[in-house]
Amino acid sequence: MNAADLMNLVISAFLLAGVYAAMSVGMTIIYGVMKIVNLAHAGFLMLGAYFVYELYERFGIDPLLGVVLAFPTFFLLGMTVHWLLVRRIPTSDQPTLPSLLLLFGLWLILQNLAYLIWGNSDRSILTPRTLSVFHLGRITFPMVQLVVFGAAVASLTGLEFVLHKTWFGKAVRALMQNSEAGKIVGVKVERTARVSFGVGIAFAGAAGGLLAMMYSFSPDFGGLFLLRAFVIIVLGGLESFTGIAIGALILALVETFSILILPANYQPAIAFSLLVVALVVLPQGVAGLWSRRRRLA
Amino acid sequence: MAKIRGCDWGKRCWACCFVILLLFSLSVCSKKEAGGDQIAIGVVLPISGREAKPGQYQREGIELAIHQINQAGGIFVKDKGKKMWVKEVFYDDGSDQAKSAGLVERAMTSDNVVAVLGGYSTALGEAESVMPDRYHTPWITTGAAASTIFGRGYQYIFGTLSPTDVLGFTTAEFLGSLVDHGKLKKGLKIALALENTDHGVDYGKGIDKWIQAHSGYFQVVFSEKFDLGSADFSGLLQKVKSVRADIFLADAHLQDYITMQRQYIQSGMSHQMLSYGARGPEADARKALGDATNYIFAGIWWSSKLPYAQVKQFSSDYQAFTGHAPDSWYPATAYDGMRALAAAIEHAGTLNKTAVRDQLRTVELKDSLLPGQVLRFGTNGQVGTPFVVVQNKPDAKVDIVYPSDAATGEAIAPKPH
Repeated sequence: MNAADLMNLVISAFLLAGVYAAMSVGMTIIYGVMKIVNLAHAGFLMLGAYFVYELYERFGIDPLLGVVLAFPTFFLLGMTVHWLLVRRIPTSDQPTLPSLLLLFGLWLILQNLAYLIWGNSDRSILTPRTLSVFHLGRITFPMVQLVVFGAAVASLTGLEFVLHKTWFGKAVRALMQNSEAGKIVGVKVERTARVSFGVGIAFAGAAGGLLAMMYSFSPDFGGLFLLRAFVIIVLGGLESFTGIAIGALILALVETFSILILPANYQPAIAFSLLVVALVVLPQGVAGLWSRRRRLA
Repeated sequence: MAKIRGCDWGKRCWACCFVILLLFSLSVCSKKEAGGDQIAIGVVLPISGREAKPGQYQREGIELAIHQINQAGGIFVKDKGKKMWVKEVFYDDGSDQAKSAGLVERAMTSDNVVAVLGGYSTALGEAESVMPDRYHTPWITTGAAASTIFGRGYQYIFGTLSPTDVLGFTTAEFLGSLVDHGKLKKGLKIALALENTDHGVDYGKGIDKWIQAHSGYFQVVFSEKFDLGSADFSGLLQKVKSVRADIFLADAHLQDYITMQRQYIQSGMSHQMLSYGARGPEADARKALGDATNYIFAGIWWSSKLPYAQVKQFSSDYQAFTGHAPDSWYPATAYDGMRALAAAIEHAGTLNKTAVRDQLRTVELKDSLLPGQVLRFGTNGQVGTPFVVVQNKPDAKVDIVYPSDAATGEAIAPKPH
């Protein structure tokens, strides 16, 4: 393998990391504020893919614009799901069995609804961008992955802005750090939780739309990515957005480069070995490592 | 109060007993009906999950055969002295191995079917294949061909797909014929990416067998397995790219073929010849990838382009029955599987499962849709019909390019960049 091949692999890993980060951030927001592991995340990824697909097929709307439209649509959907179902779960500082069961059930319902509506065919979005590549010397950039990476970075930057510059963002961060203290300083927990759930689902829907630009999908879509999102948020430290970006990059680099020394069929094992290692060695994730260093300093 | 409660419980107990008796009598009636007026045939296929599409096509093939048999009055069963309709007992296994085996067991025990058809894909077929001998009920797989299924000495299993190593052998033989015709040079390097199942192993063995018997034609410079259903093949493809092979042969399922080919194009890769095993001409792939599927070739068990009268008839019947044309080989092997079973039942003259099994061993469908036009099961229960090689061409055209006596067009080799 020459230098150009290695460079291709590095670029491939970075582009993959962008997608991984975008699909994991929604889960982190919801977990951070509500301490709920959103198992229905995969269902919303799948719905996001179909949403962008339908906009493209029926109205000719560019998938990238479809992803932008997915944000408000899935935000409202998330708020509705929260109002109808999630707010009825008893609140806790730890993930609870009822929340896991409820959201797992919701995932199954979404999956079966999708089977009823779209059937069992694999769908995919084919645009002139889908298969085009951009060459820089001997290095190849898949156009669609560049676009998806750009969209993922833009949405994550937007989220960072909202979290640091708005009242809602500060309320979210306060609840993530210490919910009791947040209540004392006047954060309205119920409303913040509802909006956070909406934002988390909005990111899931938009990430589903981005993934649909790269992969074919069916009602089962999302399960594989859900497992990867778990690895990323554990690596990232469950409640840290910077940690998510680093967790996504670590997973993408390990997956991409480990294939050079291991057979390709070990790829899924690599991701889950990483999860086990993170849980044993770094239970607080990368973010925990930083905060420990800061405390020591 | 206690008395009233006791009275309520008494009524409830009676009501429960009544419901249980009602359900029991209904189930007895339905079993009687299945055994009395109709021949119950179990069909276990994936119509949800990752194998949903091929499973759906196979189901359609079986249902078309059942529809035609029933239209003709049914199957004559000598010991009943009458023609009997075929009743399909269908279960969707959701592309899940454990569920698949459980449903075959259920069909063979609770539903008391005469035989079971199904088992699309090696993984699901392998899971199901342990049940037939356990329950002494014939099972015909219409979508699994790995040697591990047919190499265990089971007595009640049959298959309408030729062995997968023959697919690999035919693929290499086709490439060899291109060398003989001067379209490809001798000594080209081949990279193999094989699905991590017995199907993949058999495919690789078939290619190796041909290459070893024909030295100097090709050289395998890379061979690696991958897991089915992966979301990302970029690492594997990068490894393939780095070995600078001339020909890339992958053995993949439909979903993996679409994902891998998409990433193949996105990685800027190109080879003189490209194949995804038995996948290539599927409409879903064309829809997902457009012209990026052009010039891909595939070794398949059946093609609607075969120049037989019965194939043309089947294609038009299938179109009328389902509203769409046959997509690749999937419905044809299932259709013939059901017809072979019907012939075996008629020859047996009884619904005794062992008698039907014995007839399946000798049955011959002389108007088979499959290449060679004759379907008969070998000593291990598997058919041995030859493969045809098809190649995708521009404007959604698909031609049979090998063997030459069935060819509808010339192979384009090397494929244009």
